[in-house]
Amino acid sequence: MSPVLVILAAISAILAITMLFAKNPITSAMCLLGVLIMTAGMYGMIGEHLVATIQLVVYAGAIMVLFIFSIMLLNLNTEETDYKDKPMVFAGALALGVAAFAGIGTAIWNHFQAGEVVTKGQFSAEVVKNLGGNTKVLSHSLFTQYFVSFEVISLALLVAVVGAVVLAKRKFD
Amino acid sequence: MTNEILLQLLAAFLFTMGMLVVLMRRDTIMILMGIELLLNAANLSMVAFSKANHMIDGQLQVFFVITIAAAESAIGLSILVNLYRNFGSIKTQSATTLKG
Repeated sequence: MSPVLVILAAISAILAITMLFAKNPITSAMCLLGVLIMTAGMYGMIGEHLVATIQLVVYAGAIMVLFIFSIMLLNLNTEETDYKDKPMVFAGALALGVAAFAGIGTAIWNHFQAGEVVTKGQFSAEVVKNLGGNTKVLSHSLFTQYFVSFEVISLALLVAVVGAVVLAKRKFD
Repeated sequence: MTNEILLQLLAAFLFTMGMLVVLMRRDTIMILMGIELLLNAANLSMVAFSKANHMIDGQLQVFFVITIAAAESAIGLSILVNLYRNFGSIKTQSATTLKG
């Protein structure tokens, strides 16, 4: 287990908890930004360079700027923490969260401890290295095997851009 | 405890935190940020499993998920601006009428 990965994981877990309990939306946005950057670091540490770059550019760059921009646009200041006025709801949600984490954690632990036989794919680290690196392999697969999905996703982005402009503009006259 | 277990447990934890943000907070913008955290946790899980099993399909799936997340946040935030314009607040309990 690599120590850098442990440090990144610990920081992102702490930032996620801070995000949940922060009063100010801008604090939560900054914590989410930290979590996304730490995740990009973890992708880089396990050797997924293309995904790390996309995570950093699109998620931490574009999406979070959009969030912080709209928080500032809407002029949201410190709100009262709304979960504290209903302790039963707070306790119920927390119990549900603990139960969900325990369930997923047990499933993960069982999967790794039982040593289930998993058919490994062909893209081991050596094969990817011989084929020219992570980015080259992923890009080649993206433009051959997943070509149709790629085109459909670009259409979806176009629809989203048009939809966002129509929704955010003033009323039609 | 190997890297794979660490990453999967972290993904489960981040997923739980995102779920709690969606459940507990009443700001629409916090709910949208919780959804981003959920998507991020799912991405982390997919990349880690795909890497551990010597595949590349998980990474490409993550590429598509990130694109959809960008589209979703653009649409969600413009709906939020409309909500603020019509109701003067972005709390979920303030949007209680269907009339615009």
